[in-house]
Amino acid sequence: MSPHDVLVIVPAHNEVESLPATLAAIRRAAPAVDVLVVDDGSKDGTSEVARTHGVPVLSHAVNLGVGGALQSGFRYAVERGYAIGVQLDADGQHDPADLGALLAPLREGRCDVCIGSRYVARSGYRAPLARRLGMLLFSGVVRLALGRRISDTTSGYRAYSLAVMRVCEHDFPKDFPDAPLLISLARRGFRLQEVPVTMRERAAGQSFYTLGKKLYYPYKNLLASLMALLRRPA
Amino acid sequence: MFLSRTQVIVALAAVGLALFVLDLVRRRKLSEEYSLLWVLATVVVAVLGFSTPLLRTITRALGILYEGSTVFAVGLAFATAGLLYLSVKMSRISFENHALTREVAFLRLAVQELRGDAAAARDRGNA
Repeated sequence: MSPHDVLVIVPAHNEVESLPATLAAIRRAAPAVDVLVVDDGSKDGTSEVARTHGVPVLSHAVNLGVGGALQSGFRYAVERGYAIGVQLDADGQHDPADLGALLAPLREGRCDVCIGSRYVARSGYRAPLARRLGMLLFSGVVRLALGRRISDTTSGYRAYSLAVMRVCEHDFPKDFPDAPLLISLARRGFRLQEVPVTMRERAAGQSFYTLGKKLYYPYKNLLASLMALLRRPA
Repeated sequence: MFLSRTQVIVALAAVGLALFVLDLVRRRKLSEEYSLLWVLATVVVAVLGFSTPLLRTITRALGILYEGSTVFAVGLAFATAGLLYLSVKMSRISFENHALTREVAFLRLAVQELRGDAAAARDRGNA
């Protein structure tokens, strides 16, 4: 499997400040992988910045959320025949140096989705209390649903096989890239695995999750998880 | 036939709303599709508001004590149905919006790549 079989998908929303450093870090850590930036309705010229770095850009005219950005990235990867797609945040939280660790289980055919987890090994990352409670909750939901533990259900650092991307490209738990996605993927028979990664505080810019979304998120994710369980996997 | 003050007010308001809805359709501010629910709702409320015997029968059948409450209950039922209908509609529109936004993003990229190819071909031609 050549490095060009791997596409790193970078969902970005108003990330002019941190995107150049993130793209440079990917170049340094993995010079040969292809990168795609999905500009999810940014108002700050994120697309232009990405283009000046010589990276192809899919730019959404309006904001669709991480899920929508990811779905566009998957479609691009499927259309251009990539074997693996890696989701990596634009804000500098995800260290491209971990790419190798994330790709290895997929390349060896040991799993279909490889999740970069903050909790498999000690990484020094400590989330705010509310966030930790939320993650505990969804870890519990996934455990109930799948009968196994996923330590970091909200990690946005994941690698997906082509088969997974083919399914997700048109059938995706709409803007729910977390617990509901994992549940629906596992129910389709895809194998999930976690590997330890280091996570940093976001370098700059704003999180996808505003206050309103923070309150709405637990409700939406619980309901979507339930629906992922009730729907017949296609 | 005796009409209570509430019934008269409700009935007049219903007629007024119906006229307003029809005028909105005339001015193309409201589509025929959405106007149907509104016209239906106002007609039912108006009929109940005016015709006391029918209203009395329904009120007794439902076990409601005051006839005015029946009118309001029916109005509320329509409002609820209308809101649910709109929520479903909105969800579909947001889904379609999602698909369209992604489609445009892919077209934008395709245009950019075609432009790049054209520019490269021009450069080769000039060289």
